[in-house]
Amino acid sequence: MSAPRSEFPGPSPAGDAYSDGSSRRVAAHLRRTGGGTEIELVASGSGQRLARAGLSEVRRATRLGSLPSEVAFPGGWRFLSDDHRAIDGLLGTMPANRLHSLEAFRPRLALVVVAVLFGAFAVWRWGLGLAVALALSVTPAGLPDVIDSGYVRILDHTLASPSGLAGEEQRKVRTVFDRLLGFAPQPPYGDYTLHFRGMPGLGPNALALPGGTIIVSDELVEQFPDADMQAGVLAHEISHVGEKHGLGQLYRNVGLFALIGLLVGDVGPVLEDMLLEGGILLSLSYSRSQEAEADRLGAGLAAKAGFDPDGLARFLDSLGSAEGSPVPSWLSTHPPTEERVRQLRGDSGGAPDSVR
Amino acid sequence: MRDAYGIGSGERAGASSPDAVRMSFTGSAREYFGIWIVNLCLSIFTLGIYSAWAKVRTRRFFLGHTGIGGRTFDYHATGLQILVGRLIVIALLIAWSIASRMSPVVAAFGIVFIFVMPWLINRSLRFNAAMTSWSNVRFRFEGQYWRAFLVFLLYPFLCIFTLYLAYPYAARAGFRYRIGRHRIGDHGFAFDGGVGPFYAAFAMAILWVAAISVVAIVILAGALQVSPASLADLGRGAPPGDVSPLPVFLAYLLFVLAIVPASTIYTAYVRRAVYDGMTLEGGHRFESRASAGRIVMIAISNAFAVALSAGLLLPWAQVRMARYLVTHTWVIPAGSLDAFHSRAEARQTAVGDAYTDIEGFDVGPAI
Repeated sequence: MSAPRSEFPGPSPAGDAYSDGSSRRVAAHLRRTGGGTEIELVASGSGQRLARAGLSEVRRATRLGSLPSEVAFPGGWRFLSDDHRAIDGLLGTMPANRLHSLEAFRPRLALVVVAVLFGAFAVWRWGLGLAVALALSVTPAGLPDVIDSGYVRILDHTLASPSGLAGEEQRKVRTVFDRLLGFAPQPPYGDYTLHFRGMPGLGPNALALPGGTIIVSDELVEQFPDADMQAGVLAHEISHVGEKHGLGQLYRNVGLFALIGLLVGDVGPVLEDMLLEGGILLSLSYSRSQEAEADRLGAGLAAKAGFDPDGLARFLDSLGSAEGSPVPSWLSTHPPTEERVRQLRGDSGGAPDSVR
Repeated sequence: MRDAYGIGSGERAGASSPDAVRMSFTGSAREYFGIWIVNLCLSIFTLGIYSAWAKVRTRRFFLGHTGIGGRTFDYHATGLQILVGRLIVIALLIAWSIASRMSPVVAAFGIVFIFVMPWLINRSLRFNAAMTSWSNVRFRFEGQYWRAFLVFLLYPFLCIFTLYLAYPYAARAGFRYRIGRHRIGDHGFAFDGGVGPFYAAFAMAILWVAAISVVAIVILAGALQVSPASLADLGRGAPPGDVSPLPVFLAYLLFVLAIVPASTIYTAYVRRAVYDGMTLEGGHRFESRASAGRIVMIAISNAFAVALSAGLLLPWAQVRMARYLVTHTWVIPAGSLDAFHSRAEARQTAVGDAYTDIEGFDVGPAI
């Protein structure tokens, strides 16, 4: 493009012009006119004037990276040019371009990187917990119930079958459960309810769901008829519900994912799934600390209700002698059994660290 | 203006028509890194408020560097519009939460929300289309409530009862709706194509999962020194016995490798079918030559690069993927690219956009 001649000396940046709402592209340039107080958009080929406006009437968009500078005229004409310096000379630099210069790839950017690494750590360490607590406090009462019934339905389709326990056996467990409830914390969302299921895949076990549903496996009742042991297990599960552990963990996982989406944006197909997997590994350590907390609170609850506070430890002890420990601890949802027993019996001194 | 003007014959290589115009991508990772890290920094230290403006800058970067015949895309939403949309959605969620705590009747009305969803998705598509332009001409999206209800909710739901065997039909219906309701200025887009390529994409993904799973089972069986068939018993709760953790972990890694790229393989194959079946009023056609294998390789190597760099290579990874996808797409114009004109549009709000952001729906332009 040959340098356009101007009636006023000064820069005359060249680029492309588009009229209002049309894709028609015209090679054009800008120049000063009207005694230097106006800007004119001129077609470079024909020399025809396309638009004219006062210096204060044209609008310049904030710059972004290496994208062309954009100047908009009141009549709808837009002008795009890579000659940023010439446009600066015509219109002056804009204050909003400070952001553009901050984003430029130069050593100063290293400071921003450090700030981000620090900020990301702070968000993960403190911000997430705060957000989870906030979400727990605004959770509508109906939601955990919906989660409970959905989970029970899945369980009934996969691992669980109707309980084969006799009515008498169930009644005995229920008596223990009711005695514990007299000393249990106020249920956060719905009442504590006790259910029995045959779950050969899970062995002697019990589950707590966020809405207060507690499920006990037939295997537990059959293999451990001791009321103190049952009380230890049930008190542990009740403590999970009372401390909102299940829902807290759910929110943590969802929150981490949403936070990354909000701050970082779309991370791309495979990485998205890797983050989900990584999130599960991270949440496992959180889960281990929740188990330790439920052990501690559960033992206290059992003692208050008049059961042997050593019931859970004895239960874990006899479980531990029956199974090996094939899974490395960082891959596990629960702390190693021996460690739990040691903590419960107070051998290590002091309460287990509940935020790790 | 930029190098994208020259469309040499070399650039046509790969496209089936001699008139094809190869799409160009001019953004660099270096340039995007600065934008991305400043976005992230300001978003964190404004407690997320800046993320609305960050979204606009990110969109402007990727669209502004994507061109057809030297004419680029652009994004015109303002950060304030996005922020207001997000605040309205958050306020509604909190109001609903409080109301449902006070009255269980309100909680039961949660089901009503399902019927609001298609409306929100339509709003989001409309907002994003109206805020996007190419060569100075705005896109438009004209949603239809019941069509959206069918393609986003009912069809995917009904697929469950066919064991997902009918899923390709549902996917095709979704593309037909989303593409067919888009216009650029006064020209409408359309999508039509057989369901065959969608089934092929589905089959390729399943084939991948099956092949890798077999390898994983053989390794795991070797580690446990049992026959592969008896592994099924493990799932039913037979005691695992004494297992050394390393092969188990290796097998787990293989399972991840089987499942994770499957959706990428599916999308990569579908991408071709979508571009090949897409037309723009006036006889303009499109063509994608992006290979599924290459897309999967880029996605996997990107994921590792980002993970090993504590996220700092994410801008590089995003630019790399965008460049590959954009530069392997061709437009086959049937006439002058000067002949598009915008239509006047009513004002837009970003409420739907905020909703689809929060819910993670993928409604962005299929570039």
